Amino acid sequence: MTYIATFYSHFGAIRYQKICKEKGYSAKAMPVPRNLSSSCGTCVKYEAPEMLLDKEHDEIEQIVLCTDDGYECLWKASDS
Amino acid sequence: MTAKKDKIAIIIAGIVIGIIAAALAYFGNPKNMGFCIACFLRDTSGALGLHRAAPVQYIRPEIIGIVLGACGCAIAKKEFSPKGGSSPMTRFVLAFSAMVGCLMFLGCPFRMILRLAGGDLNALIGFVGFAVGICAGIVFLKKGFTLKRTYKLPLAEGFALPVIEIGIFVLLLAAPAFIFFSEEGAGPGAMHASIWLSLIAGVIVGGLAQRTRLCMVGGIRDTILFKETRLLLGFVAILVAALITNLVLGSISGTPFFNLGFDGQPVAYNDGLWNFLGLFLVGFACCLLGGCPLRQLVMSGEGNTDSAVVVVGLMVGAAFCHNFGLASSGEGPTANGKIAVIICIIIVAIIGCVNTLRKAE
Repeated sequence: MTYIATFYSHFGAIRYQKICKEKGYSAKAMPVPRNLSSSCGTCVKYEAPEMLLDKEHDEIEQIVLCTDDGYECLWKASDS
Repeated sequence: MTAKKDKIAIIIAGIVIGIIAAALAYFGNPKNMGFCIACFLRDTSGALGLHRAAPVQYIRPEIIGIVLGACGCAIAKKEFSPKGGSSPMTRFVLAFSAMVGCLMFLGCPFRMILRLAGGDLNALIGFVGFAVGICAGIVFLKKGFTLKRTYKLPLAEGFALPVIEIGIFVLLLAAPAFIFFSEEGAGPGAMHASIWLSLIAGVIVGGLAQRTRLCMVGGIRDTILFKETRLLLGFVAILVAALITNLVLGSISGTPFFNLGFDGQPVAYNDGLWNFLGLFLVGFACCLLGGCPLRQLVMSGEGNTDSAVVVVGLMVGAAFCHNFGLASSGEGPTANGKIAVIICIIIVAIIGCVNTLRKAE
């Protein structure tokens, strides 16, 4: 499964990418896709058997699953 | 939309924006200033009486159009999302500083492109400063810089700035005595295309920028960080389109819109150091803000109140620049302006450190 996580800061994305790689997942930091968010920040696209949600990680804005039709939102920070 | 389609879309948008920007100079705006977010916010501040520099007072419909065009597109595409609360006062100070840099250089990053398209080589030095400033910002981003998260806000909060812009447009149309307008021949503020043409141009640019996420800072930042050139392509498309339009308009009208060189450029001076440092400050501050002044206007139209605070910060900054004699002119930078740019670079660096170190704790 391919997931994309978006963040409130660039550093949050870099930290998340590191966690993904430590778990052995293929992960890449990149600009947020245009049709996923209006933000022009950084996201992490990664391949994993399931969504990686680090509860300690308060920089995550949302996590989506990449599907054939686009994106399916799996998790969103409260009040975002 | 695929990545390739995205790239084509931003190139087309850039071409349209470049043509519109160059054409506005033909229809009355100052040369190489079809669009300049900093100059136009400064003119609007002056018209509202926040500063009293007589040559630069006019409510620029382009600004109003950009916000409303972005707002309309965001609503139509269900992307209007009122949010905010991400260090608003810090953003205000960064925006204020960015404006000090813009008025040192005499233009925002958008006008930097238009100055390049008009053959103004001083803007090339400014561009180098801008890119180095973004690199300085990237160092902080990589070290953990964050202005903390945004929060969902009530609908009314997101509409505040677009509604204020409508109010300012009414003031332009009504032109009551308490609104200041530069008199004919007084300076750049007196040079403008017709109200409705400017407004429509703004709406189109705002809409296109909203759809494509066009951002001068984002283009360079993404290219350096990820070797992703999509946003940069928009930047290049504007440059090429405006350059060709300038050449065509020059040959049609007999008035040159392209003049290659450092000297005698419209609303510009040729002191390389301060052109460099002015846009260095803009690149540095805007990188920490997450977008250039155009992008901030567009995001404020999408309901982002942090960006609306940035727009207010830019306007207040512009007023202070003229009240305190910080703004440059065609004759060059002022001593006060030089001191202000140095102070603002230090302030932006302190903001970078404080919001990075906090993260490391």
